[in-house]
Amino acid sequence: MKLSLTRTSLSSILAPLLCNSHPSHRPISSLSVSHRPTSLTPETTPLFLRPPTSSASLSDLLKFRNWAETLSSSAGASFSAQDNGPDTHLLLRELTWLLEDALENPKTLAYCNPSAVSNDLLVSLRTDLEELYTLWKQRIDERRPFQYIVGCEHWRDLVLGVREGVLIPRPETEQVVELVSDAIKGNDELGDGLWADLGTGSGAIAIGIARILRDRGMVIATDLSPVAVEVASFNVQRYNLQDKVVIRQGSWFGPLKEAEGDLVGIVSNPPYIPTEHINGLQAEVKHEPRLALDGGTDGIGDLLYLCNGAVSMLKPGGFFAFETNGEKQCKFLLDYMETKVKGSFNDINIVSDFAGIQRFVTGFRTR
Amino acid sequence: MSSYILKKSCTRSSLILSQNAALKFPLIAHLFSSLSQSQDANSTSAYNFLEKNTAGFPLFSHVRSKIPSGSRWKFVPSEFVRLFSSQAAVEPSTSDGLTVEGIINKQWPILGESESDWKSHASSIAQSVHLIKKRLQWKKLKVRLGILSAQLEKPDLWDDPVHAGKISREHGSLLGKMKEVNSIEQELLEHIDMIKLAREENDQELESESIKALLTMRKGVKEKELEALLAGEHDSSSCFIEVQAGAGGTESMDWAAMVIKMYEVWAQQRGYKVTVVDEMPGEMAGIKRATIKVDGQYAFGYAKAEVGVHRLVRISPFDSGKRRHTSFAAVAVIPILGDGSSRVQINESDLRIERMRAGGAGGQHVNTTESAVRITHIPTGISASCQNERSQHQNMASAMSVLQSRLDQLEMARQAQMNSRHTQSLTDISWGNQIRTFVLHPYRMVKDLRTNYEVSDPDSVLEGDLDGFILSFLSAHWIKRKTSCNLS
Repeated sequence: MKLSLTRTSLSSILAPLLCNSHPSHRPISSLSVSHRPTSLTPETTPLFLRPPTSSASLSDLLKFRNWAETLSSSAGASFSAQDNGPDTHLLLRELTWLLEDALENPKTLAYCNPSAVSNDLLVSLRTDLEELYTLWKQRIDERRPFQYIVGCEHWRDLVLGVREGVLIPRPETEQVVELVSDAIKGNDELGDGLWADLGTGSGAIAIGIARILRDRGMVIATDLSPVAVEVASFNVQRYNLQDKVVIRQGSWFGPLKEAEGDLVGIVSNPPYIPTEHINGLQAEVKHEPRLALDGGTDGIGDLLYLCNGAVSMLKPGGFFAFETNGEKQCKFLLDYMETKVKGSFNDINIVSDFAGIQRFVTGFRTR
Repeated sequence: MSSYILKKSCTRSSLILSQNAALKFPLIAHLFSSLSQSQDANSTSAYNFLEKNTAGFPLFSHVRSKIPSGSRWKFVPSEFVRLFSSQAAVEPSTSDGLTVEGIINKQWPILGESESDWKSHASSIAQSVHLIKKRLQWKKLKVRLGILSAQLEKPDLWDDPVHAGKISREHGSLLGKMKEVNSIEQELLEHIDMIKLAREENDQELESESIKALLTMRKGVKEKELEALLAGEHDSSSCFIEVQAGAGGTESMDWAAMVIKMYEVWAQQRGYKVTVVDEMPGEMAGIKRATIKVDGQYAFGYAKAEVGVHRLVRISPFDSGKRRHTSFAAVAVIPILGDGSSRVQINESDLRIERMRAGGAGGQHVNTTESAVRITHIPTGISASCQNERSQHQNMASAMSVLQSRLDQLEMARQAQMNSRHTQSLTDISWGNQIRTFVLHPYRMVKDLRTNYEVSDPDSVLEGDLDGFILSFLSAHWIKRKTSCNLS
């Protein structure tokens, strides 16, 4: 039994590696990879964390805002029609957030009366005005994701640094932390144990979990992508969780060999989009790393691999939560666990996200 | 209390000293007559103090340099103060015997703040004091203070430290309120004395300075008057203000946006923290509905004066025919109860959480900064949503706090009904319940239909200058409540 599992594992290990060398992989990601892995360069530091080294007059800033508003108004309608992209209202909200992040004192803009502005009032900026124009042009013309523009994503109560080459954590995924929170409630063994977040990306789930674990609880987060490892490390440090979260580069369970059978929990948001859907994705998503999105032919390969790995990696009584593409994958996985690896897991559950889509599969390793 | 009598006597004596030396002896004799009851140790210090007064008129120069009242007599030993506390309160008055009540009886017209007329300022201050006293239930307060003082004198009081602490805290709080009012009266009368003196001596600089001081005081006291009106159970809470556009499409949605903006600026100017919680934009312009959170003391107490329907008459910028339109916006205000209050317990299982505007497959398929959620409390059907936060988690927390406050309010309304108190429910604003009209055309005016308070400059009101409306409503509301209490 165990041997056959290992064989499956090996082939699946290769899958993500193959994805990485996919021809349509965006050059921008490979550029990012070459960055020094230890610290983020000024350009990759989230905008809101940069020092306010520039300034502009309030009237010039208002001019920028007007320009950006006009640009957004004309573009919004077509984006949402094209591929369910952001509408005007959403773009305008993003613009407010961009200025919120760029201004040292965002209130100056929020409550100023445009008709009674003194032209020479200087406003401190974390990037120069010219750059703001460039960034907003990228947002509209290239559909560059807003989160890459400002270099951060607000996720749960966290503000995580993100940049090209790392998946922007989705609102749905916040719920994984909730599922873990429910599981560790009244279960000290889980709260104080060793967890794994596989394919951690920006480190979102790992950090989210680390903050709700008990004193002795820890998380090992792995990712194949060096950019992800770099960004996740940055985020872990920003939340001062170096003692609770360990980031390791490698494929899935690869860097976790010594923890085999010791994990009390496994969580993952692996790539699950079927390859054939990749080309039809929303323009913004195409800026994100394919490695984190493309789940192979039917999108379920990595999920099955994780499911098989969980059998040997989890301690008896250990918990798992996986994010999936929706109802079809959830049901497939549930069926797989109940038949193919029968007896390994119990209390297997499908949990819907807040949009009502069956999104997560959770359960426990049988004792 | 004692300190103001003391101060009064001193100010009065000093003024008289400068004006009419012949009068100084009876006054000092009066002071001495009370001092004569004191022990020897006290009389020494008291004597020093008197000496300071009479020698070389130091007080007069002090007054002229405009040291704020209250700071002048810091050196008075407490023993001396206690001496006077046993005396019957003497009604404070100016050198020619004008009291605060006297000012009210004179019925000097109250003009605008910009009019440099001291009588108008004085009259306004006196009115405010009168209202504050009524609000504090002045006579009852004095009786209560007497009872508490008597209890504090008891030698066995501290045998029960909890009880003693309670008594002493209440005593301190009441005494503080009383002293505050007394010092206002005191200051008012001092300024009047000073103005009269300045006129007699033809000292224009002193006169204009004193009038200016009176104006500053008028504004401050007006504020205190407003606060005195805010003694409702939840008045000190933060609140949510919600605005909903009435029928009439873009024009009324634009009006709703103007209204919510007005509250944002008003709250900002008052020093409150303002956050937009929920906003449903109109298709063309404006908003269908919006909720802002106003954080700070007395936010609810003030804002509750705004509950109702606000009407706008203007030439619509959205009408190519340039016709006059009337639009409506409804305003609701919900208090955010503190943790101390009894809040409605919400069962998690009673909640339905939905992602709003989530299209398509979701998850990795979609990159969006939109993470709005709606939380519905299934048993009551009440729901709340938020989309202005940057994460779903925060949107949820924000929506949850709105939902909690709505449920709290529902519960309050239910209890109020149970107690058959006829309080106005904030939840059901009927569109017939118009409270204010804004007219931009053919003339310009904003008028409150409840109090008839009106101003002729709608722009200033729309830019957040609402305090006049709020104050007049709160005063009227309070007097009405007072009258109905007396009748029952």
